[in-house]
Amino acid sequence: MADARKTRERRPTSFYVLAAFFALFVLFLYGPMLTIFILSFQGENGGLTFPMNGFSFHWFGNLFERQAVGDFGGSFLRSLKLGLIVMVVTVVVSFMAGLAFRRRFKGDSIVFYLAIASLIVPSILISLGIGLLFNIIEWQPQWFTSALGAHLTWTFPFGLLIMFAVFNRFDPSYEEAARDLGASNWQTIQYVVLPMVGPSLIGVAMFSFTLSYDEFARTLMTAGALNTLPLEIYGMTTNVTTPVLYALGTVTTGFSFLVIALALGSVAILRMRKGQKA
Amino acid sequence: MTIDIKKSAKNLLTDNAVSRRGFVKGAAVATGAAIGSGAITGFPTIWAQNIKNVTLRQFGTGVSNINAIGDKVKEDLGFTLQMTALDSDAVAQRAVTQPNSFDIADIEYWICKKVFPAGTMQPMDTTKLKNYKYISKLFIDGKLTPDSEIAQGTAPHTVGFVEGKDSVDFASEPTQWMTLIPTIYNADTLGIRPDLIDRPIDSWADLLDPAFKGKASILNIPSIGIMDAAMVCEAMGKVTYGDKGNMTKDEIDKTIAIMIDAKNEGQFRAFWKSFDESVNLMASGEVVIQSMWSPAVAAVRSKGIACKYQPLKEGYRAWGGGIGLAKHLSGLELEAAYEYIDWYLSGWVGAYLNRQGYYSAAPETAKKFMSEDEWGFWMEGEAAEGDILSPEGKVMEKAGAVRDGGSYEERMGSVACWNSVMDENKHMIRKWNEFIAA
Amino acid sequence: MASDTSKRSSYFLITPMAAIFAVFLVIPLVTIVIVSFWDYDEYRILPDFILENYSYLLGSSVTWSIYLNTLKYAALTWLFTLLIGFTVAYFLAFHVRSLTWQIVLFMVCTIPFWTSNIIRMISWIPFLGRNGLLNSALINLGIVDQPLEFLLFSDFAVVLADVHLYALFMVVPIFNSMMRIDRSLIEAARDAGASGFETLKSVIVPLSKPGIAIGSIFVITVVMGDFITVRLMSGGQSASVGLQISNEIGLLQYPAAAASAVVLLITVLLIVTALLRLVDIRKEL
Repeated sequence: MADARKTRERRPTSFYVLAAFFALFVLFLYGPMLTIFILSFQGENGGLTFPMNGFSFHWFGNLFERQAVGDFGGSFLRSLKLGLIVMVVTVVVSFMAGLAFRRRFKGDSIVFYLAIASLIVPSILISLGIGLLFNIIEWQPQWFTSALGAHLTWTFPFGLLIMFAVFNRFDPSYEEAARDLGASNWQTIQYVVLPMVGPSLIGVAMFSFTLSYDEFARTLMTAGALNTLPLEIYGMTTNVTTPVLYALGTVTTGFSFLVIALALGSVAILRMRKGQKA
Repeated sequence: MTIDIKKSAKNLLTDNAVSRRGFVKGAAVATGAAIGSGAITGFPTIWAQNIKNVTLRQFGTGVSNINAIGDKVKEDLGFTLQMTALDSDAVAQRAVTQPNSFDIADIEYWICKKVFPAGTMQPMDTTKLKNYKYISKLFIDGKLTPDSEIAQGTAPHTVGFVEGKDSVDFASEPTQWMTLIPTIYNADTLGIRPDLIDRPIDSWADLLDPAFKGKASILNIPSIGIMDAAMVCEAMGKVTYGDKGNMTKDEIDKTIAIMIDAKNEGQFRAFWKSFDESVNLMASGEVVIQSMWSPAVAAVRSKGIACKYQPLKEGYRAWGGGIGLAKHLSGLELEAAYEYIDWYLSGWVGAYLNRQGYYSAAPETAKKFMSEDEWGFWMEGEAAEGDILSPEGKVMEKAGAVRDGGSYEERMGSVACWNSVMDENKHMIRKWNEFIAA
Repeated sequence: MASDTSKRSSYFLITPMAAIFAVFLVIPLVTIVIVSFWDYDEYRILPDFILENYSYLLGSSVTWSIYLNTLKYAALTWLFTLLIGFTVAYFLAFHVRSLTWQIVLFMVCTIPFWTSNIIRMISWIPFLGRNGLLNSALINLGIVDQPLEFLLFSDFAVVLADVHLYALFMVVPIFNSMMRIDRSLIEAARDAGASGFETLKSVIVPLSKPGIAIGSIFVITVVMGDFITVRLMSGGQSASVGLQISNEIGLLQYPAAAASAVVLLITVLLIVTALLRLVDIRKEL
């Protein structure tokens, strides 16, 4: 027994090899972002590539000034709004679907396979299909109609799969107990199910917001007249010749961090409250 | 200087008031109000108040969809111009498939040849445009000067007019109905990095010179790229064309075969699709010779990197763009659009575009908004006396510089071919895709 | 009676999702199939029933070389993401002992994935270019005396960016599968005298299969349909199926794009069906 503990405490060589590999992987993930981060502080006359030509915050200021072409602020707000709508709809609809799938019903496998299909059909096909459809029935694509729909086909499968994972591990005896105590269906959901799956729903929310906020291919033919942020960024990669593009990269990354921090914070708060109640 | 500009702008507007009176009557009847006494000052009250609520949505390539123009429209005309910049493929697509998503289309003439017959746009009545008479003859009958030759390809005047108000058939002669009011055009050639190339470049054939293996680029917009490719193949003496602007299947196949060979030999470093990509390729030294657009050359130079817009003995490949009206426009919006288009020709924008290295469609009016030195440098091919500034006020060229290719007449006078769309378009695009996939 | 109401509530609960899938997935896909038989000219699509789109597509040598190229990208990306994903997941699942550390290290891996894909992609360009960071470093260190040209605007660059973008999609499901492996099985294998490698081969890999399959499905389908990575990282010099479709869309050749899309869809479905034979997704979650 004592021997076993000793060997456990001594890390095998493979640990160090793997740890080194992991470190390299992290470097691989962060390395190129670092180049962007550094280059966004490029001096006023600097270009898109190294070497650095001084150090300045010029390009961050420039980002919030009016560009010669394009509208960065508007597209950012649009993406933010779209992401939030997608987030709310995905959380509600996935939760409902998750509840539905706890029992077998006729056609359940059809919906399930639709979700899988939605996951594997290449994004550009969704974009093309919706674009064509709107074109033929002569509706104007808009970011809040066609693009919203296109994004939902992307976030629903993830939402549903996460709900599956949650409900597969969900112990129904809590609900039974609640019903035995005379709780209605709605009360059971509100006071028993929701608090228990809450953290996962926050996961679904975070996931769907990011997927939507960063979606490019599905938005391409469905956004209509006004650009979302990824479309705008793509436009900028072909329309911008200054480090303002990198400043945008740094700022959007910073914004993503903020979202993560907020989400993690709210999970922590939920946990703490739960802890206090218990 | 600034005061002068404002004055002349005001004069232009006051002049317009006369031709606008017809409309004012209509508007007055429609709103059930009397004609505003403001007609005397140039802005009738009703007009001035209503037009402020008008928003015109314009879309086009980044080339001329410049926010500064929108600001100036607000200032001079009072209404809002909302602009969306897209690449040229997306522009054509939106013009045809989403006719209600725009009011003003800013498109190139070769795109117009594809788009106008789809019936999503309406021709303009040239009699309503006071500045129509200042439009360069190049866009009216294809001749810069009375004795110049008409270049191959989709020359703007061939798709510039339609038979009548509701027609989508292009007229062979100038009519009262214009499809696009020309706004901007230029003569394109090869851009080079003279600091990285140690021999003179004088022919399109140099693009495929093995000396530049892995350092050449060409633009990947099929309709335009094929023209550059044709200029190259013709210069090499490998293919002869009946009309480069309308090649036969056989000519297309031969051209693409030569390009595929070059690609497989590793001649090209990358292909570019938007003009800023070409700037980045050139500025970063990835490419030292490529087909390029004039402002892209200027942009490379403004970074302190040597770049030359090399005139070539075979001549230039030219392109032109213009603005047209969406079919659905009517009433006040339509009148605002006419107002905007007339304003576009009145000189301020022309000067702005000239300063970027493009050409204004109405040079005479643009001249009024440019200094003598600017006019001399950009249009006459003379050495700059002082520093030449970009529209944003950045120094583009130091005193003493001379524009590559020289004067307006020299450059636009040696156009070999216009950007175009061919009868064998489908075939050409398929072959072009083979080239890209090769 | 009770089962009737619960059935009804099931249908009520599933309706929103089913409706969205019907409108934004099924109908658009049907539209694509229909339009793939239509004709087109330079600026319009013309309702018709022709097979020309398919006969040209399937008869052209370009199509085959494009598919070959795309499959090459998919296979290489799959291989590298699998190797990296498995190793990283293995490290996290079996070598990192405390849950807190697992979460922390996981977050470290996840954070870059919250940045715009396009920005992450173009961030390679100043790094790999002819005068980029890597080439300058190699030249300064005297390792090479000419900049390495293959680093940017090449197949190498495309696969690198793909691996960079999608490696995490392999890590997550494999990690998930590994965490569900009963640790006593590994102890048992060790007690039975199996070496670390044998344990890996006969216990961990087989039990990680569902995760591997899910990750593979994801990576392969994403790369098969990708067009933007190929466009940006190959400098426009290479083609992929997705890029072909996006070009055709750009040129207003919707019926041709639709035909390409149908063929791509069939290809992807075949690959996924093959992979699904290895795993029952619904059970494995």
